[in-house]
Amino acid sequence: MNINKYDKNRELFMKAVKVIPAGIYGHLGPAEGCFTPVSAYPFFSQQAKGAYFWDVDGNRFIDYMCAYGPIILGYNDEEVDGAAIEQLKKGNCVTSPSSIMVEFAELMVDTVEMADWVFFAKNGGDVTSFAIMVARAATGRKKVILVNGGYHGVAPWTQQEGYPGIIKQDVENNFYVEWNNFEEVERIVKEHPGEIACFMATPYHHPVFADNELPADGYWQKIRKLCTDHGIVLAIDDVRCGFRLDMAGSDQYFGFKADLMCFCKAIANGWSVSALCGIDALKDAAASVKYTGSYWLSAVPFAAGIACLNKLKKIDAPKHLQEKGKKLTDGLVSIGKAHGFDLKVTGVESMWYMRIANDDSFLLHQEWVAECVRRGAFFTNHHNHFINWALTDEDIKKTHEIADEAFHILKKRHF
Amino acid sequence: MTDHLTKANINLFAILRNLEDLCAMEDETKLIVKDCNISIQFIVKNGPEAFLILKDGKCALQKGRKRCKIKLYFKNPEHLNKMFDGKANPILLKGFTKLGFLKKEFPKLVEKLTYYLKPTDQLLKDPKYLEINTYLTMFTAFNAMVQIANHDRLGKLNSSRIPDGVVAISILGGGPSIFITSKSGCLEVNNETDKPIRAYMSFANTNIANAILNNKVDTYSAIGGGELEIKGCIPMIDNLNKLLSQVPAYVR
Repeated sequence: MNINKYDKNRELFMKAVKVIPAGIYGHLGPAEGCFTPVSAYPFFSQQAKGAYFWDVDGNRFIDYMCAYGPIILGYNDEEVDGAAIEQLKKGNCVTSPSSIMVEFAELMVDTVEMADWVFFAKNGGDVTSFAIMVARAATGRKKVILVNGGYHGVAPWTQQEGYPGIIKQDVENNFYVEWNNFEEVERIVKEHPGEIACFMATPYHHPVFADNELPADGYWQKIRKLCTDHGIVLAIDDVRCGFRLDMAGSDQYFGFKADLMCFCKAIANGWSVSALCGIDALKDAAASVKYTGSYWLSAVPFAAGIACLNKLKKIDAPKHLQEKGKKLTDGLVSIGKAHGFDLKVTGVESMWYMRIANDDSFLLHQEWVAECVRRGAFFTNHHNHFINWALTDEDIKKTHEIADEAFHILKKRHF
Repeated sequence: MTDHLTKANINLFAILRNLEDLCAMEDETKLIVKDCNISIQFIVKNGPEAFLILKDGKCALQKGRKRCKIKLYFKNPEHLNKMFDGKANPILLKGFTKLGFLKKEFPKLVEKLTYYLKPTDQLLKDPKYLEINTYLTMFTAFNAMVQIANHDRLGKLNSSRIPDGVVAISILGGGPSIFITSKSGCLEVNNETDKPIRAYMSFANTNIANAILNNKVDTYSAIGGGELEIKGCIPMIDNLNKLLSQVPAYVR
């Protein structure tokens, strides 16, 4: 099997570090992206199409990160990109927003079950922050309850005291609870009557470095009732799961109704738009909050979003992505087992998390992932993965072959 | 934001502790302590206690109290820190007849330590200096980091997020290794361990270790360039890095 070489990637990275902090910052970079060892990973892409991307050395990867979620139909989907290009010819960033914004808003409200209105921005973090502001504006309260390990972006309130750039005041209105622990939420609500503006969580728990966990039976229904009884806004961060579990929203998937829902990644197949959906009772509050951005009402991503959502509905994407995910992960687990490795898969199959559970240091897992990446299957070590619609059975078969060889190498090296 | 108690612990257990290594590594320092047979107790009211023993050409610093020939008392952690900054004198409780050591050999030791902890580009061209500076800087940084983790308010927050286990920090190519053990948010630094390693932070060589430790290369770039490898339980290292970023506020 061909082993990738990354000479041009390295060369370009050395240029990048001179002019860009950390060379590549954030989750796409080698440090935060946990490229372990870095020698196994590409740094820069040259092009992307369907289920693949090619790096600057010409190596092709079957991509299981999908740009960390936005790519749900595959790279450069012709219908979505075609709609975007058509809109670009008409106009994009204009003094008055395009009429297409209303069309997209109507589609969102029709698609997302809980939505009476929608507010557009650019990134997931824009709308999680807005959700907190709307909840505070509506309730006149300042405290929020968050789940330990939950990710809601990088705004100061989402981080921790002690992190560089974060001060005590940024997080002093946050309470943190363990996932699936309803009693803990209930206790905080009772101990702070009239103080809690919002409970925000992802629809299921998908932290990094830890097995993903689905909600316990009745968890969301109990949280829903608690929030309703105490006038707390229930905000769901559906940025990662949105349209991957259920086109109507992940609250529907788990059998409850949220007050606010944050969408981003899969909404427009890589075109930059995010959305906060809300119930009617919060519409005035949303209108009252001063919140905007230079590019938030640009028309091209709206056109892409319309094409993307329509296609996702037409192909019943959540069902089929989960089937593809199951086929892939069942195979990976079984191949691992044949080599004596316990590959543990958690979360929903279309965005599964995996780790080799034979040691608690992640060392074996990091070695296995590195061997897979070197051979052209792009996994990452400690983040959940993503399936896209363009992934074929042939790609899954090829991935299984790569995984088999990587497990074989690991076995030879360690046992 | 720094606090005096954390700084006092750093001064004793990260800065002064370097005399142990310096006496073992550097010939002129060995000569200074060759004929010394002295012990110094440091007592800080509402602060740390430690004693320094110089005997048979070796030096050892330990926590706690022991019968010593010289006993130095400090009214509070700030008083100790001022002494380390050269702005205050200790209160001598015992050892009036041993003042010679404090006036003669001890300042020479401090001078040597300062020389090796304050590098210049010129000095770093000398391979022996580079080796000693790297070693001392590494041990100072990680010992200071442990004191921050255990005493500083923000440090405690960051250390509480470190999973239990041992992190090995090494300079590859024959350089030294140290081991940071985390247990329930408390950190300890050791020169060896018999416990399994859960995470690794490895500098490719002495030059790169020196450049990173002296803030000439940032860690993120070094990771991307493959000059600093991290692997294993990354959350341990990630939170150690957050602690390390607090060190310059205490050790300048």
